[in-house]
Amino acid sequence: MNQEMEDFALDVEVGANRVFEFTHEGKKTKLFTRHLAGKDYYSFDEKRWVKLPKLGANEVLVSNAETYRVFRGFKPSGLHAGGAGALITQMPGKVVKLFKKEGDTVAKGETVLILEAMKMENEIKSGADGFIKAINIKEGQALEAGFLMVEIEE
Amino acid sequence: MKGKRVLIINRGEIAIRVAKALNELGLISVGVWTDNETEPPHLEYCQEWVHLAGSNNKETYLDIPKIMKIIEDYKIDGVHPGYGFLSENREFSETLAKKGITFIGPNPDAVYKMGAKDISKQIAKEAGVPVVPGSTGEVDSVEEAIKIGNEIGYPVLLKAVAGGGGKGMRPCYNEKDVKENFSAVQREALSSFGYAGLLVEKYVLNPHHIEVQILADKKGNVYHVFERECSVQRRHQKIIEEAPSPFIGADEAVRKAICETAVKCAKAVNYDSAGTVEFIMGEDKKFYFLEMNTRIQVEHPITEEITGVDLVANMIKAAFGESLDFNSQEDIKIQGHAIELRICAEDPISMLPAPGKIVGFETTFPQGIRFDHCIYPKFAITPDFDPMIGKLIAKGFNREVALRKVKNALDGLIIDGIKTNIPLHKVILEEENFVKGKYSTNYIGTVKPQEKVPVKDSIESFMVKIAGIELNQMGGVK
Repeated sequence: MNQEMEDFALDVEVGANRVFEFTHEGKKTKLFTRHLAGKDYYSFDEKRWVKLPKLGANEVLVSNAETYRVFRGFKPSGLHAGGAGALITQMPGKVVKLFKKEGDTVAKGETVLILEAMKMENEIKSGADGFIKAINIKEGQALEAGFLMVEIEE
Repeated sequence: MKGKRVLIINRGEIAIRVAKALNELGLISVGVWTDNETEPPHLEYCQEWVHLAGSNNKETYLDIPKIMKIIEDYKIDGVHPGYGFLSENREFSETLAKKGITFIGPNPDAVYKMGAKDISKQIAKEAGVPVVPGSTGEVDSVEEAIKIGNEIGYPVLLKAVAGGGGKGMRPCYNEKDVKENFSAVQREALSSFGYAGLLVEKYVLNPHHIEVQILADKKGNVYHVFERECSVQRRHQKIIEEAPSPFIGADEAVRKAICETAVKCAKAVNYDSAGTVEFIMGEDKKFYFLEMNTRIQVEHPITEEITGVDLVANMIKAAFGESLDFNSQEDIKIQGHAIELRICAEDPISMLPAPGKIVGFETTFPQGIRFDHCIYPKFAITPDFDPMIGKLIAKGFNREVALRKVKNALDGLIIDGIKTNIPLHKVILEEENFVKGKYSTNYIGTVKPQEKVPVKDSIESFMVKIAGIELNQMGGVK
């Protein structure tokens, strides 16, 4: 047990008709969703449908004994390529530099902060044009369990 | 009793359980809200709630003068302490008694006598209840140790008087072992605890933790509501309980003996409420008194499920001097089997508490599942309180059916945003020894089911979670 923490990234793009396209290690997977009688259902093949649990917008995503940080609307550089939208990675680290403050406008692709993680400095870039709605971190802060660092509103 | 105002000095699932019983009996349930809880879910079930100012347990749930002030200000007639906090506090029950406030629990004398370990053991002994056999005091020589060993039978445990935490203890399986180990344990005791005094005690191999539920009223009636097996433990805390005990199984003579012994213990302290007598049982099914808990216990629901006896409601009735729902021991019968899984906010592998905020909570249960909990989306679990957030209880026609149901229920229980021990329960419910009902209190330590818990779930499970988050953001699928 106690495997080495691995760098784990899963990119997602939300397309038309709420079809989710995930990319993990170069492999693409489609997840279809539909709404019936007040509940959401999902399917990987559009044939077998299963109830989709409702989840709040959270800072972390937990799976068994591991906690992953959720990056919404932007993604750390140096990780898997993918479009804007939600990106999940597991990256405990330290905030090296913050380039923006709350209320600032930000352009898609612009670096918002630098996070030192996995012994690498990662430029965390905005995935969308918008403004900084909230900053929940400060420079020098060590991020352990993982949380929502910056919220960007389109 | 109807219309009496009862203050619940507790929180979480047990406060909800107590409020439900009070409301059902026509009493007024009054809850409390402290400063270190955000949106406590139990208030929803209370008919009224009052603010209990303070930001740590010492200033709130344990602050007797502050609680007494609330009792006076809000014209409270009775108090239910739940479990933990002030539930077994002699000072609290005495203070209430002096003010003429009904304490929903036993009389202060019983709380006191069963609260002190040495006194409770003495009382049990005098009542003819077996306690773990051993030397009456310190043993000075190896000859004396051997003599006691031969009297009580091997194996025996050589144990430092000042010991603890597994140190200064050595099991001896025969005379030769005692000879070889005696001075070694003395030396170990001296170096670890600064005192060389030794005790000789019967060593119970692969022990089972079996407890008997007691229900008594103020009219002198003491009944047992059969036993529970609570041998799946981590850090001496239970995580899975079942009733009846699979270890006692169909051995009705042992069941009768342990239940009647528990009644004897309760009678010895004039017990007059719901309580539990805990025993340790060896492989030979010989059992010894450990202690008596003078309160309602976490695992009370499995007893309620197999007997139909509402323990909390009867406990309230007894406190107000009313009759119980039955009037003879023969009225209480075991029907079926029940299993309870404690759902805790903790890492499923290390089993250490993992606080956090719940962002998703859904249940899709099979027929007949009971889930006593305090969970809601956005519920923050703080390090201030116990990590237990719920109890998943399944009853079946027999153990096999109960297992099937609880396993199915676990698959339908989704708690997201925090680590929970749900993945550990899933492993245990599939584990061979547990499935066969063959386990002792050494189970977690020797079988180590925690090592079979996958560190993380499948990649597809991540995709489903992300879709759940995103769709919720977008306001559901259109």
